[in-house]
Amino acid sequence: MPEVQVSGLHKKFGDVTVLNDINFTIREGEFFTLLGPSGCGKSTTLNCIAGLESPTAGSITVDGVPFVDTAKKLYVPTEERNLGMVFQSYALWPHMTVEANLVMPLAIRKVSKEEKAVRIHEALDTVGLAHLKDRYPHQLSGGQQQRVALARALVYSPSVLLLDEPLSNLDAKLREQSRAWLKRLQVELGITTVYVTHDQDEALSLSDRIAVMFEGNMTQIGAPAEIYERPATAAVAAFVGSCNFFTGRLEETRGGIARVRLDNTGLVVKVASTLALSPGDAVTVAVRPERLTITPASADVTGANVLDTSVLTRSYVGSRYEYGLKLGTNVVQVISPTGNLDGDVRLVFDADDALLYAGSNVPSAEAQELMTVAS
Amino acid sequence: MTTTSTDKAVQPPAGRSILPAPKYPRVFGVGRGRLVQYGIFILLALFVLAPIVPILYQSFRDRPLYEAGGLLTAGNYVKLFTDAGFGQVVLNTAIFAVGTTVLTLVIAIPMAVLVVRTRLPFGRLLGLSMQWPFFISSLILGFGWITLYGPAGFISVQLRQVFGFVPWNLYSLGGMAVTEAVGLAPIAYVFCANALRQSDASLESAARVCGAGPVRILFQVVVPMLRPPIVYSSILIFSMSLETLSVPLLYGTPVRIEVFSTFLYTNGLQSISPDYGILGAASTLILAVTIGTVAIQAKVLKNAQRFISVRGKATRPRLLDLGWIRWVAAAAIVIYIIFGALLPILGLVFRSFTMIFTPLQNPFDTLTLSNYQRVFTFPVYVQSITNSVVVAAVGAVLVSVLALLAVLVARRSPFKFARSVEYLALAPQAMPGIIVGIGFFWAFALTPGGGWVQGTLMAVIIAFGLRALPTAFGSIAPAIMQIGRELDDAARTSGADWFGTFFRILRTLLRPAFVGALILVFVTMMKEYSAALFLSSANTGVIGTTMLDLWVQGNTGSVAALATIQIAITAVFVAVANLFMKGHTDA
Repeated sequence: MPEVQVSGLHKKFGDVTVLNDINFTIREGEFFTLLGPSGCGKSTTLNCIAGLESPTAGSITVDGVPFVDTAKKLYVPTEERNLGMVFQSYALWPHMTVEANLVMPLAIRKVSKEEKAVRIHEALDTVGLAHLKDRYPHQLSGGQQQRVALARALVYSPSVLLLDEPLSNLDAKLREQSRAWLKRLQVELGITTVYVTHDQDEALSLSDRIAVMFEGNMTQIGAPAEIYERPATAAVAAFVGSCNFFTGRLEETRGGIARVRLDNTGLVVKVASTLALSPGDAVTVAVRPERLTITPASADVTGANVLDTSVLTRSYVGSRYEYGLKLGTNVVQVISPTGNLDGDVRLVFDADDALLYAGSNVPSAEAQELMTVAS
Repeated sequence: MTTTSTDKAVQPPAGRSILPAPKYPRVFGVGRGRLVQYGIFILLALFVLAPIVPILYQSFRDRPLYEAGGLLTAGNYVKLFTDAGFGQVVLNTAIFAVGTTVLTLVIAIPMAVLVVRTRLPFGRLLGLSMQWPFFISSLILGFGWITLYGPAGFISVQLRQVFGFVPWNLYSLGGMAVTEAVGLAPIAYVFCANALRQSDASLESAARVCGAGPVRILFQVVVPMLRPPIVYSSILIFSMSLETLSVPLLYGTPVRIEVFSTFLYTNGLQSISPDYGILGAASTLILAVTIGTVAIQAKVLKNAQRFISVRGKATRPRLLDLGWIRWVAAAAIVIYIIFGALLPILGLVFRSFTMIFTPLQNPFDTLTLSNYQRVFTFPVYVQSITNSVVVAAVGAVLVSVLALLAVLVARRSPFKFARSVEYLALAPQAMPGIIVGIGFFWAFALTPGGGWVQGTLMAVIIAFGLRALPTAFGSIAPAIMQIGRELDDAARTSGADWFGTFFRILRTLLRPAFVGALILVFVTMMKEYSAALFLSSANTGVIGTTMLDLWVQGNTGSVAALATIQIAITAVFVAVANLFMKGHTDA
């Protein structure tokens, strides 16, 4: 299983920079996900690997074979890269049966008739659709089309599998099941896979490693747990999972614990931090909703941080309750298993539960606006 | 482990080894796809520039191109503008073009709105018949109108008998504009009707929810949204009426009203010693004007696409109910179809079977086939019919193939001159037929080896083909935009190169559009004649040029016979092609 190396990748459309110095290496057999909001450049990166777009600068190597190297003016066209790709719309050729769709890549490679039959049967068998080989794409459900597209991408044993949001056109229930199925399949085949998605749940559950991208920059690369637990920036924290953000000023840092005075209430909270900051610096505190605990105002609690708040809203979402608490002008999101809290309550979290970022730039002004109430 | 894996640990079972990536041969370091793209680009550039360059050159030369030792001069332009008659020509052309454009819009816009957006008696049928004047050449339409409404026309004479006078004069700029507008209205109609069909129905629903009645919705929501297609089609109609030859030639010659195109015709073809310099200068002027209008049109369309609301969802808007007005509207459309196109054509067909066609004498008394006999006794006339069919058939194939390749390069390739290919393919829209004819005539005369083509049917096919190219391009391009780009990308990642993608995937998907283009080009080339006026030799005339010859000789009966034959050929071809298409679209 080959390794994919991308280094110094730049892409510009006129004056607009779409990719800015992208570097990463995908290990053999790894499930690697490019995650980010739409327009962040993740699909462009994938298309550069596929050869459907050519980068302005940079190089891409797969299994030691250079595909693109702008310094050496080297460019291998898409058709000679031997990659398998599944598109968001599946891109099954509508005028061909399932079988004919799978025959085409083999016919191009001049595979013998017997081997064609064997390969097609096995590829369709892998995706569990061997009985539908005579159907036309429009006679298949969305999920079946997606699996045929996958079979077509696998039938010629490509070196790397590229998946461009393959699950985004399925409805929510099917998407969850397809996700689990896809993961099993990838582990079984052991094929190096590059996956593009804007869905953080997909990225977390499928990937060996995730690369988070914003506005053409690669912000963080790491294992799913690392991305979720220790997001490199406030933007990553906001994009992967949900997160509460409070701006404030650093009072002091002692023994890896920072004391931050929050702008919204003037209260001081303690946050674990290794950042080199000096007192008076603007900072942002981030806490995930499930790391916060709510206790009734009457209860006696101990913890690094105990804040007095009140319940604004409470919604039942099946497996848990989502609370909206009022903290100054902020609405704080909390997830809790108990649904009987109301009125004045206390918000409790440890110094380890929160994350500290330099600066007071809270991601997504629009989302923040929705999370603000009159004091 | 399944066999789709190529893990080193597992030996692939026999016969299922790792498949190598396909390799494609390179010529001079580029793939065959790139070679084809350059080939198309160069071919189109030659095709479009061949008639323009000699005209430009001639316009600045003090003697005919074929005479040696010429000097470059601006004298031709000076002579053209100081020529007393030319000012009148410009004025006539302007009146005719503006009049035609306004009249066309007056006919087309209300009809499009009524047919597409309101409940109309026989709405579907009316919508279909609105389009069929398109299939008839303006030359034939002109003959038909003269047969009925001309000074000695059937209806004119009838009216004179009843009222003692005829309330119109067909042989005037107004008469020309009305006839031309009837012929061109289908084009504006199609633009407006398509825009109306594609517009977002929820906009109207929103107006309805706000309490607007049907008439208010029409005038405040539907019609304002039509602004882009109206602007676009009016510019198109304007440039088409600048270049049209048929109607001004038929109506204007007897009363000496000259416009641009007839000026070129009389100066270049009918005069005994044509002044080639003036011909070149006048052609250049017209080219500049028409290219200007087409450039404006391209710009308008580019901006227009931003606010045409096209939704993937097929929510069919509810048709508006206009009450009693709908009967008036339907009657108006019926009058347009019957008096504008149906009666003149029927009159012409009837004329072809009579000796004399006048209400003064029962035409059934003089039924005859002698008009056809005359056509068929002269081998040259018969040959012009076969020539027309050959030109249209061969041309349809060649032009459609070229247009298909041009569309592929322009819309589906990473070729760096893709945009230029599109502009080149659409440029002939701005080139009047008569100028294309003059240009190619000079081009063949000047290029070494051009003599082989000069005076042959091939020359006619080339000139007509250039004129029909934008039509073919325009009919294939939207079809390819309907085919998702990801289908191409999937083929590329599967191992097909640009060329292979076309042959393995797009070829089948584009077949209906290609057949559509074939039909359209055949009809267009069947109608065409003006480019042949300069290019045809005695043996390479087409139906149109023969009709003009016979008209000048006063053989109106035989003109009618030829017109009938041309209509019949077109009708049979379109019918057969449609049948063929129906049977094959399911494949």
